[in-house]
Amino acid sequence: MAWTKWLALFRRERFTKELDSEIQFHLDQQIAENITAGMTPEDARRAAAKTFGSATAVKERAWESWGWTGLEQLAQDVRYALRQLRKTPGFTATAVLTLALGIGANAAIFTLVNSVLMKNLPVVEPHTLIRIGDNNDCCVNSGTQDSGDYSLFSTEIYERVKKTMPEFESVAAMQAGFGFNPVIVRLDGSQETAHSVMGEFVSGNYFQTFGLRPHAGRLFSDADDVKGAPAVALMSYEMWKRDYAADTSILGKSFWINTKAVTLVGIAPAGFYGDRLSSTPPDFYLPIESMPVLASAPYVYKPEFSWLYIIGRVKPGTNLAALQDKVSALVKHSMQETQKFTSDDEKKSLEKAHVVLLPGGAGIQALQEQYGSNLHLLMAVSGLVLLIACANIANLLLVRGIRRKTELSLRSALGAARGRIVRQLLTESVVLAALGGIAGLAVAYGGAKMLLALVFPGAQAVPIDATPSGAVLAFACGLSLLTGVLFGVAPAWIAAQTEPADALRSGSRNTAMGASMLQRGLVVLQTALSLVLLVGAGLFSQSLNKLQGSDLKLDSKNRYIVHINPQAAGYTQLQLESFYRTVEQRFHALPGVKAVGLSLYTPMEDNNWSTGVQVQGQPYADSGASVVRVSPEFFDSVGTHVVMGRGVGVQDSSGAPTVAVVNETFVKGFFQPGSNPIGRRFGSPGPQSSGDFEIVGVVEDTTYTSARWKDHRMYFVPMLQRPASSKEPIEEDTSLYAGAIVLQTQAPMNNMEELARKTLAEINPNLAVVRFQTFDQQIAERFNGERMIARLTALFGGLALLLATIGLYGVTAYTVARRTSEIGIRMALGAQRTGVIAMVMRGAMSQTVVGLAIGVPVALLCVRFVESQLYEIKGVDLGVLAVSVFALVVATSLAGLIPARRAASTDPARTLSAE
Amino acid sequence: MGKPNDLVQGTLDLLILKTIALEPKHGWAIGKRIQQISREVLQVQQGSLYPALNRLERKGWIKAKWAETETGRQAKFYWLTPSGRVQLGKEAANWSRLSAAINLVMQRS
Repeated sequence: MAWTKWLALFRRERFTKELDSEIQFHLDQQIAENITAGMTPEDARRAAAKTFGSATAVKERAWESWGWTGLEQLAQDVRYALRQLRKTPGFTATAVLTLALGIGANAAIFTLVNSVLMKNLPVVEPHTLIRIGDNNDCCVNSGTQDSGDYSLFSTEIYERVKKTMPEFESVAAMQAGFGFNPVIVRLDGSQETAHSVMGEFVSGNYFQTFGLRPHAGRLFSDADDVKGAPAVALMSYEMWKRDYAADTSILGKSFWINTKAVTLVGIAPAGFYGDRLSSTPPDFYLPIESMPVLASAPYVYKPEFSWLYIIGRVKPGTNLAALQDKVSALVKHSMQETQKFTSDDEKKSLEKAHVVLLPGGAGIQALQEQYGSNLHLLMAVSGLVLLIACANIANLLLVRGIRRKTELSLRSALGAARGRIVRQLLTESVVLAALGGIAGLAVAYGGAKMLLALVFPGAQAVPIDATPSGAVLAFACGLSLLTGVLFGVAPAWIAAQTEPADALRSGSRNTAMGASMLQRGLVVLQTALSLVLLVGAGLFSQSLNKLQGSDLKLDSKNRYIVHINPQAAGYTQLQLESFYRTVEQRFHALPGVKAVGLSLYTPMEDNNWSTGVQVQGQPYADSGASVVRVSPEFFDSVGTHVVMGRGVGVQDSSGAPTVAVVNETFVKGFFQPGSNPIGRRFGSPGPQSSGDFEIVGVVEDTTYTSARWKDHRMYFVPMLQRPASSKEPIEEDTSLYAGAIVLQTQAPMNNMEELARKTLAEINPNLAVVRFQTFDQQIAERFNGERMIARLTALFGGLALLLATIGLYGVTAYTVARRTSEIGIRMALGAQRTGVIAMVMRGAMSQTVVGLAIGVPVALLCVRFVESQLYEIKGVDLGVLAVSVFALVVATSLAGLIPARRAASTDPARTLSAE
Repeated sequence: MGKPNDLVQGTLDLLILKTIALEPKHGWAIGKRIQQISREVLQVQQGSLYPALNRLERKGWIKAKWAETETGRQAKFYWLTPSGRVQLGKEAANWSRLSAAINLVMQRS
């Protein structure tokens, strides 16, 4: 009878009333019968009620038979739960905040990990893509690799793989180091000025291998990638939208790329960011065959230069192990055939030549390798914070559950079914977890964005999705829900099991310690974990401070660095001498400019050129050094001091005798202590080449590539001097191109960037500024990774401390509340305020002490896992440990002191009369 | 609960239907009647009686109406519906078969 059921739902009130009357009638009948049997009216009533049992339960069960109770009770329970939570705003806020931070922080970190470490390229069937090579060597290499493990290949090897390996459906090659060689671009016939953007040279079948379709126009075909084919380019969807407002009319138009005319034939698919995650994804894609013309790259057709990464799509059912052997054999064979190896070392390492095939669906994993260890560390840290958060929630719910024992007993005594009470408490926990989950969602969204900004500061178009995935949120919410259910229901169940009469009788007087072992254990756990996190945070901050505070032996005050690309602007090597002179003159003409230095690269930037070094008259010891080409004013412009002899001077022109300036570590490394290096000669290994450069001066050890590269051997040669033994034609020597202009001014100049752009454009409109930074900005950027880790570990450490403090406060406050009457009696019997405070504090601090006793050894043990990520820090610094312990003790003292003072202000008379 | 003469689940429904088959009765009378007829062997728990009446009403086997008792008080009377009468026949037959079967087993062994 469906309609009566519906009717019943809407008439619950009437139903209840009717049932009440019915039960009353029943009782009256029973009473009447009892009186007839000879009882007094009072006894008759009591006996009748006793026989009938709980009227509430009867009503509940009668209503249940109408089948509406589940849904209705849920709504009722949720309403009631919300009311309960509103009644205790402190508890609710603490729990929700704890959950939000725990869930949010984890979801944010996992989101980043997910999109950086686990995501495939946005291509068709990424799982059938195979990368040849398993490391991220960059960018242009020659000679043999000591390990014998190759990942970077010559055009020759790529062509051979493509031609002779039927196992590949299609195999593509791509420029490894495009990030270091931006191109200069200007749309023909437009008002725009030439600007520097990322351009990647790729094989003609690059897009086809990835299975992509153009967003507009067409993609490359093999016909575009042959010598003499008309120069064509593809633009990234991002740039098309950003710079050209997604205007399809630019298709087919001519662009001046590195001063050569190139036709834009298509727009790459939306969302495609190239073959690797990068904070500077390519804006232009260009065929490899156009590279010699567009980028004057001399190595494209030379088998001895490796500069390509290879990714291919294998046919289904290919045996990868066999394919790996086959490609390894091809690489070795090809190297033997096309290159001459003379030294024993080279022959030995050629024997070891091999490749490793890796899944290629995620592309080139350079970024993943760079940030992998950091992200894993952050994951571990945020996991610990979540653990602490869960312990906190557990504690809060335990305290709350036990505190409500009396209330629950009362409800049970009034006839509420036990299952119903437990269900009510379960609902409360779930509602709480849901509230925390929603707040956590907000934290996760904001947190992931913030993390991304921290990891890639200043990047415009990082192709990383910062939206938390459903799986991540489900995991975090599930965990918090589990915590809530587990620790919310257990005490409720225990409370519901006790005989109501006992619970009510025992009243509020309680001399037991109150908090259970479980609660204390949770607080101890929290304390120990927070200490570990605090020590970790301390070590990372210390590491950052050491790095930033290390003496880089340079002067960054009032210095500006303008990165340029004269090659892309169309200068040939032979034009450089007069070009450099012009640059020096024009910049010196600007008011306020003190020094103008030019160099291949500058201190503290992500760049490094190195060669083998042999000192004339000494055997070659298989050692090398980094080399920088510099102009006469360069040392002054970056603040490097000459300690012996002279620096590079104006007289060291291209025609003058070839000289070099070396740094102090170079001297220590290659010469006997006390011997005078001035006048000695060195060069690349070889009987002739080892006499190429005469040392004319020694400079201090200014830090170049990385602050971690301390005591790194370096030598400096004049901008345009070429070693006498060099057989390389000057047209192929790309090291002659200055990569940066360093400007030193008398005072800070806010308009320097604008001035630099204007000055360069006046010299040549194609001289775009690749990057402009103050020297300080450039240096600070090199510490981004360390700064991010230090900040985040500090953030998580603070969070952990806060949570542990709240946890201890909760337990102590609860204990004090339970012992109010006991304390009242103590004070009535003459206990002093200080005595009471001491008693409460003793209880609170004992947990901190146990937590520290566990946390200190664990922290000491954990340091070894992060030592590799620290700078010049071995083991736990006593200072860091002391500060962490101190912070924890202060915080927990506060957490104990507040309830202790409340206990001491107990008024004995009032507490005792309250009973 | 846990008393030896607790009613087997489902049996209570049969007894209620049977008790009101002749004339409408209120809850109290139903309980009393079962107790009397069974010579005090069957005790109907009040906690089971009222939920059972609601269950039967929902299934459409009985109907309820407020009416005056012989002492002039208002009470809720229950009576059988036609489908309840059919159900009573079914359950009574079932019960006879079951109890006969149990008797057989008890006598033989």
